[in-house]
Amino acid sequence: MRGLIELLSVPSLLTVQDNGRRDYRKLGVPVSGFMDDYSARIANYLVGNPGNAPLLEFLLTGPTMRFNASAVFAVAGDVKVKLNGVPVEPWTSYWGKRGDVLEVRTLKSGLYGYIAFAGGVKCEKLLGSCSAYPRANLGRPLKAGDRLSLSYAILTGREGRYLSPELRPDYSSKEREIRVVLGPNLEHFSETGVKTFLSKAYTVTSESDRMGYRMDGPVIGHSQKGAGIVTEPLIPGAVQVPANGRPIVMMRDAQTTGGYAKIGTVISADLHLLAQSRPGTRVWFRAVGVEEAQEILRRREKTLKAIEGFLAGEMGAYRIKIGEEERIAFTKVEKS
Amino acid sequence: MPELKPAGDSALLISFGEAIDEEINGRVHAVAGTIEKAGFEWLVEVVPAYSSLLVVYDPLKATYAEVESAIKPLLSAETESFRGRLVEVPVVYGGQYGPDLEFVAEYNGLSVDDVIEIHSGPVYRVYFLGFLPGFAYLGGMDERIAAPRLEKPRLKVPAGSVGIAGRQTGIYPLESPGGWRLIGRTPLRLFNPSKEPPTLLQPGDRVKFVPIDESEFRGLYEKEWGEGID
Repeated sequence: MRGLIELLSVPSLLTVQDNGRRDYRKLGVPVSGFMDDYSARIANYLVGNPGNAPLLEFLLTGPTMRFNASAVFAVAGDVKVKLNGVPVEPWTSYWGKRGDVLEVRTLKSGLYGYIAFAGGVKCEKLLGSCSAYPRANLGRPLKAGDRLSLSYAILTGREGRYLSPELRPDYSSKEREIRVVLGPNLEHFSETGVKTFLSKAYTVTSESDRMGYRMDGPVIGHSQKGAGIVTEPLIPGAVQVPANGRPIVMMRDAQTTGGYAKIGTVISADLHLLAQSRPGTRVWFRAVGVEEAQEILRRREKTLKAIEGFLAGEMGAYRIKIGEEERIAFTKVEKS
Repeated sequence: MPELKPAGDSALLISFGEAIDEEINGRVHAVAGTIEKAGFEWLVEVVPAYSSLLVVYDPLKATYAEVESAIKPLLSAETESFRGRLVEVPVVYGGQYGPDLEFVAEYNGLSVDDVIEIHSGPVYRVYFLGFLPGFAYLGGMDERIAAPRLEKPRLKVPAGSVGIAGRQTGIYPLESPGGWRLIGRTPLRLFNPSKEPPTLLQPGDRVKFVPIDESEFRGLYEKEWGEGID
């Protein structure tokens, strides 16, 4: 089969992902999907796709590929990109023409980068999703020589969509705050343990992958109930604390159930921030209520919708100053 | 009354206590079915375990308070009793398929035949699936055949291997590393993503192990996997 895009070199983990698998968790199948849904959705919007279209996710270093036919693409990430050896911009859509070679280098910050194509990467949907979960033979990591096809007419998409730097997520900080909703196994922790968790820095270790991020830092004390619970279901973002007192944050490929007590769950709006935290990044966990977490998510969704509208030319963006803080505001573009 | 609490901003955990108990687990599955059938547009999915049930919802469609108040009346209502299917799982015990069968026998002062008889005697309950796609947490193993995990896990355990770890028994759905004592292997495919549903066992099913010999195993294996075993 002649694929539209041929992978010439794949230096690190490269998989097809969409927004994950639904409805199979009760059978033990993880959700999977974009590690950084924020960047991935913007990558899709840049090429005119719906936010959940399948795209390429790379860990740290991107692939080199050749277009065997023309297609519009965009790269999301803090990374050098070259088209036929000439530097082009990330967070911008371009035409890749037949014979062009796209080279995506190593991220300067963050851990996961995305390459979206107009039409989306074509894949065999397994259990309703294109997201690769190789442990259960649901897709596999891509390798040099693999060829990809795109889902619909190749002449879709538009060149020159561009996300200004102020609107791009910034993962460069070596320290960040991650918000959590406490629980659901709070009674398994001592009062001091909870205080430690919320007041000390925890460092992302290199024992971190799509399944979970192990953190290092001061020991979180359990109550008399201890670290073990009767195995119960969990979701990505859950912060398990085994007997050694060091938290493990479950990520997109996390198993669906677990037997360690959970002190909290990272809020949906912040999980991508943790996903993009390299080993060595210092994380401060802060507790918010569930209502506040949901309000934060609704605001984030509004921002993403506005970015989608802006990239589609339906919205204008301009800078406003509220007190000391400068923000980007969006308005509808009047049709004449 | 079961306890309801948030598990993050997109899930609600219903806890029916800490007991590992057939009746409580039956209630978990009955409530899971009731919630699934109610047609809530915010519902993403429900995930049952031993004595808890996770309700995953879309927080952009409903707040925690809304989900909680929609679920509460379903908990007090009389739930239908829940009874899963009875699934027969053929197993070839011992030999290359169950390299730890003799250890389990020796460890418990039993003969190999005793272990096979005790293991294939009861009807086990699938409390829930987790750990790996298609992995069933089975309840009901006789403590007389309990055995500790391997000190050093094997790097590669073939799919279908039947093992014992402590007082638990289980079947590896996929080839994976593992530390369970392997006593046999089933030719059946526990997880097959091109089938709907993709797993042989469903939460709440009952399982009966049926001893078979090696030639039966080979025949069933070929039928199930579409290829012979080496």
